[in-house]
Amino acid sequence: MHRLILAFANWLQNTPLALAVGGSDWAYPYVQLTHFTGLSLWVGTSVALDVRLLGFGKRRQSPGELLDDLFLWNWIGFCLAILGGFLLFSIAAASFVSNLAFRAKLGILIPLALAVHIFVQAKARAWSETPEPPAAAKLAGLMEIVLWLSVATAAVSIPYF
Amino acid sequence: MLLNWCDWLQHSWWVASLDGSVALSVLVELGHYFGFFLIVGSIVVVDLRILGLAGRGHDAARLAGQLFPVMWTGLFFALLTGFLMFADDAVALFPNPVFRIKLLVVLLAVIFGAIVQWRVGRWDRFARIPVSAKCLAAVSLALWIGAILSSVEVPHLTYVP
Repeated sequence: MHRLILAFANWLQNTPLALAVGGSDWAYPYVQLTHFTGLSLWVGTSVALDVRLLGFGKRRQSPGELLDDLFLWNWIGFCLAILGGFLLFSIAAASFVSNLAFRAKLGILIPLALAVHIFVQAKARAWSETPEPPAAAKLAGLMEIVLWLSVATAAVSIPYF
Repeated sequence: MLLNWCDWLQHSWWVASLDGSVALSVLVELGHYFGFFLIVGSIVVVDLRILGLAGRGHDAARLAGQLFPVMWTGLFFALLTGFLMFADDAVALFPNPVFRIKLLVVLLAVIFGAIVQWRVGRWDRFARIPVSAKCLAAVSLALWIGAILSSVEVPHLTYVP
C-alpha cells in the first residue's frame, strides 16, 4: 500500500502541471492564495455555525437560518481549499506522503473533521426547533472546532517533521 | 529609532524563548492561521451577501450581526499572534517593502470591514441594497484577498531572488 502511494506521489510530482507550478517564479503564492482563501471560507463559516450551536455570542439567527446563508460558500471554500491543497501537494508529493504530520492530517484528522462537519450540517435545522440547541448539538459543535484546530495544528507542524 | 526598537524586541528574552520552542511556534502559527480564517471567512460572506451572491433568503443585517463577533474574535487572535511572529524577525521585516504593503492592505481591509458593519443596518432598510454599498463590499472583498496575497508574497519575494 505504501509503495503504491509513493509510486503515485512520484508520478504526480513529475506531471507537466506539477513541474510547471513548481518551476514557475510567480505561481506558488497564487496557489497558496487559493488554498488559504478556500480555507478561510471553509473554516470561518464552519466555526461560525459551531459557535452558534454552542450558544456563544449573538443569536440573531437560528442555527438553521445561519446554515442556509452559509452553506453555498462553505462548500465553495472547500472546493478552493482542495484545489489549492492538491496543487501544493503535487509540487512535492513524495516528501509530503512520507511526512508524519501530513499523514496524520490527511489520513485521520481531515476525514474525522469532515464527518463531524457533515453531521452538524445534516442536523442543524432539527437542532433549531428549540430556542436552546440540545446538548448533542453543543457537543458536535465543540468537536468540530477541536478537530479543525487539530487539522491546522498538524498542517503547521509539517515543516517540523 | 524604530529599527533599534525592532532589534531590542527581537532580542528580548521572551522572543528568544518563543523562537527556541517548537511547540510555542506551532501554537503561535496556529493562532494566526485560525484567526485570519475567522476574519476572512466571516467578512467575505457578509460582503457576498451585500453583493447579492450569498444567503438572499434573509436580511443582510441579521447575517452580519451573527458573523461580526466571529470576525472581531479572529482579528484579536490574528493581531496578537501576528505581533509575536513579527517580533521573531523584526529587524528583517520592518524595512521590508512587501511586509509594509501587507500591513497597509490589512489596515485598509479592517477599516472597510468596520464601515460595512457600521452601515449594513441602514442598507437593509432600502428595498434594494444601494449600489454604493455594493461597491464598498466589493472593495472589502478585494482587500481581504489582497491581504492574503500580500502575506504569502512576504516570504516568497523576500527570500527567493
